[in-house]
Amino acid sequence: MRILQSFLFILMLFAAPFGAAMAGDTGQTATIVVNGLSCPFCAYGLEKHLKKVNGVEDVNIDMKHGKATVSLKPGTQVDDAMLREAVKKAGFTARDISHN
Amino acid sequence: MPHRIVIMMISLLSFATWGMAGPITFNSALPLSEGTGILRAQVNLLHQSGDATALKRNVTATAIPLVLAYGVSARLALFGVLPYVNKRMDINIGANRFRRNTQGLGDARFFARYTMYQQDRPGDTLRIAPFAGMKTPTGAHNTRDAPGLLPQPLQSGSGSWDPFVGIAITRQTLDWELDTAVSYRMNTKASGFEFGDEARLDGSFQYRVLPRTLEDIGVPAFVYAVLESGLIWNGRNRLAGVVDNNSGGTVWNLVPGLQYVTRRYVLETAIQIPAIQRLNGTALTTDWLWTTGFRWNF
Repeated sequence: MRILQSFLFILMLFAAPFGAAMAGDTGQTATIVVNGLSCPFCAYGLEKHLKKVNGVEDVNIDMKHGKATVSLKPGTQVDDAMLREAVKKAGFTARDISHN
Repeated sequence: MPHRIVIMMISLLSFATWGMAGPITFNSALPLSEGTGILRAQVNLLHQSGDATALKRNVTATAIPLVLAYGVSARLALFGVLPYVNKRMDINIGANRFRRNTQGLGDARFFARYTMYQQDRPGDTLRIAPFAGMKTPTGAHNTRDAPGLLPQPLQSGSGSWDPFVGIAITRQTLDWELDTAVSYRMNTKASGFEFGDEARLDGSFQYRVLPRTLEDIGVPAFVYAVLESGLIWNGRNRLAGVVDNNSGGTVWNLVPGLQYVTRRYVLETAIQIPAIQRLNGTALTTDWLWTTGFRWNF
């Protein structure tokens, strides 16, 4: 029994960081701080690329604060690296990404 | 007809630029997203007069350039410009008023632009992008009318393959945008005629006048007040290897304009007013050049 408890404890130690990372990726929305976004006409390309990311349902852009918020499809998760790549393809620079 | 009359006309009418929001009369370094296309159409209307001779020449020219832009990557973009042109010159011959005109496809231009420097900050970007391309002889250059072959500058195309290079620098913020571009086109010979080379130095300042303040959410439409400056130098033409001293010159245009910019489209209008026209020899002067158009994101 003591061996089983030790095994579960070690398993939890290994699983905790992984679980935390996944939790960060499974939020309902993700908000990306986008540098370089300063024109409505250019915002379309950003919206288009973010919508192409698997799991993204909708995109809302806040020009004033330079933020793009993506709504995720229920039960899906999105990788931050894919969001950063989408921003890069649109011609901008992604900074912080937060999940809600 | 002196060739210089229309060489300046061609320069003024061929300014159709690429698709991103930005300057109206020249090229910017603003981003074009990978896999995104932009269609741009313009109508440019030019009027020249002021002939002190008995010929009393008047020139009216219209150009409708269509521009297609495509982002190969976030840094590399390709552009094609195909103009439809209509050139008309009224002239006194003896006691009669006579008209010579041509219309049809003009010379297409194809070019590539690469963003070599990009510095992004919140609501602010600075970009430097060189570009290079070729003007191709898609327009007719041997059109005839009743008196005979139209003078080369009145043709809808030059018949020559003309390479050009340049560099565009853009600083854009949420409130304003500043652009500058310098370019050079080396014109080559076709059918024994060679237009003088062309160099341009352009600048543009755009200021957001509406909305006065930005909302906390969304992508609002912007209205920009625009003021541009275009300094254009044309070298002398050569006919059968002989320099035409009555061709070429320097023009400096001031261009006030207005732009309405949304996510999907841009509507714009501007008028080019020649502030200085130093043409070689005697030539018609440009009264004005009005341009209006749209750009559409897809």
